[in-house]
Amino acid sequence: MIRFEGASKSYVSLVRRRRVDALADFTMVMQPGEVVGIAGPNGAGKSTLISLMLGFLHPTSGRVTVDGHAPRAYVESRGVGYLTELVNLPPRWKVPHTLERMAALSGVPASQRADRVQTMMTRLGLEEHAAKQVRQLSKGNLQRLGLGQALLGDFDIVVLDEPTHGLDPLWTQRFRDVVAELRRPDRLVVIASHNLDELEVLADRVAILNNGRLQRVVEHGSGSTGTATMAWRVTFEGTPDVVAIWPAALEIVGRPGTWRITASRASLSTGLASLLGGGAILVECSPETSRLESEFRAAVGS
Amino acid sequence: MSRDSSPFRYTKWLALDLIRVQLALFAIVAVILPIAIYRIQSKFGAAPDPATVLTGTFMAGLTIATLMAIGGSIGSDLAGGFYRAWFSKPMAPAWYYFQRWFLAGVAVLLAPLMLGGMLALVLHNGSGLSVDLMVTVALGYLLIGSACLLLSNFTAKDWLVVFLLSFLQQRLADVVQQAAKSGFELPEWMVFVKKALPPFHLINPMKPALHGNELLHVLGYGTAMLIAALVIVQLRPLGSGGRA
Repeated sequence: MIRFEGASKSYVSLVRRRRVDALADFTMVMQPGEVVGIAGPNGAGKSTLISLMLGFLHPTSGRVTVDGHAPRAYVESRGVGYLTELVNLPPRWKVPHTLERMAALSGVPASQRADRVQTMMTRLGLEEHAAKQVRQLSKGNLQRLGLGQALLGDFDIVVLDEPTHGLDPLWTQRFRDVVAELRRPDRLVVIASHNLDELEVLADRVAILNNGRLQRVVEHGSGSTGTATMAWRVTFEGTPDVVAIWPAALEIVGRPGTWRITASRASLSTGLASLLGGGAILVECSPETSRLESEFRAAVGS
Repeated sequence: MSRDSSPFRYTKWLALDLIRVQLALFAIVAVILPIAIYRIQSKFGAAPDPATVLTGTFMAGLTIATLMAIGGSIGSDLAGGFYRAWFSKPMAPAWYYFQRWFLAGVAVLLAPLMLGGMLALVLHNGSGLSVDLMVTVALGYLLIGSACLLLSNFTAKDWLVVFLLSFLQQRLADVVQQAAKSGFELPEWMVFVKKALPPFHLINPMKPALHGNELLHVLGYGTAMLIAALVIVQLRPLGSGGRA
């Protein structure tokens, strides 16, 4: 369990003595078994929060504990699977040697290291890059290597900072599968990301930061009630009489059969039931903006 | 998953890094130098004393060899962001860097052995190795290597700072010595600075090994700097900003 109690981190510039609050009065408890997302615009304090979690920075005030210990004490005894936003590994190391070294540092027993490394290389599609040095890897392949070194140790806490940065759509999808496999009752997974879709899919709850402050925590599947009005995008086959049900509905220009409908969940369901009962065929129905996106926009004022 | 919690589980890799770079370079010098001397010797007919070659080489090269072996260790890992991968794993920074310091010391101590061995092989006149030389090289490494590790907490250019400090301190020691001989009174601050800096001037491979107070001075100063370096790297925040 990671507990933040009023944790703040300020930097003071040496020359101008100007103080910047990277994180202010952050309080939150992250429990084993959950996947916690951290969202926020650039400079919101996400990376500072992660550095505090791992003990790479000390809070200016407040407290951070991991399983009741100071973060560094915890990390030095148990370890944390950590994928950095910018993967920094010595450029001349070869890919399998990098993983072997990281497996040794992670405490993987010598007898299991070769197998573990091979499995990880296969799982992350790094086999074809086995002869390459770290500096020869593309951004996406480097990101996969970074993910591999983080997961070798099978740690109880996994922290992923912008994990899909540089990954192509195929590997972004595969990454989601990898994270889904990471879920277990005694493991906490923390994901910091700009990508709200990713957090919406992966995280149980998302902490939204702005200007170093926690704005709100959005819990998956909770919050908006059936009566809250929101915008939906609905596509039908053919031309059912949508306007008869929702007079304000707008057909999207250039996409016949696709409508923008503003309605609550309850009234959308009733209206759809009526149309479907009359023989309409529904192709697709989705919120125009995700709930997380709406919450994010409200939190950061954009 | 069962874990390998041996504190030496990463030692092999640290040793391999040193063997591939620093020790390989020392070996190249150990091969080239005796051959060069042999060629010069055969040209002019003068038979050099291996002990003179060895002590002369380390008089000129001990500081450089030490800085090559341990320079930039902590500072480069911090500046390059590598610490994030190393120390998110169950590994204490103090232990990690102590191992690096120790192994680099072994590499520096192997340098005279390799050079002595090659001198014996090429010149057929003995290795020139002596206990005094080995003790001086070990003390030199303790002093210079520990200063480097300590300063590495603050800059990746620790090797340059130590090189300049060592130069400054040795020149200062010469000035103080000359002034004492000639009865010239130096400003107090100058004498204080000379005393406060690590006693680099006492490391002289061309002289017998240190003993008595001078030995204690070097041992004490070197050990204190090593301990300070390890305490600082263990307690300091390794990051300097969110992403740094």
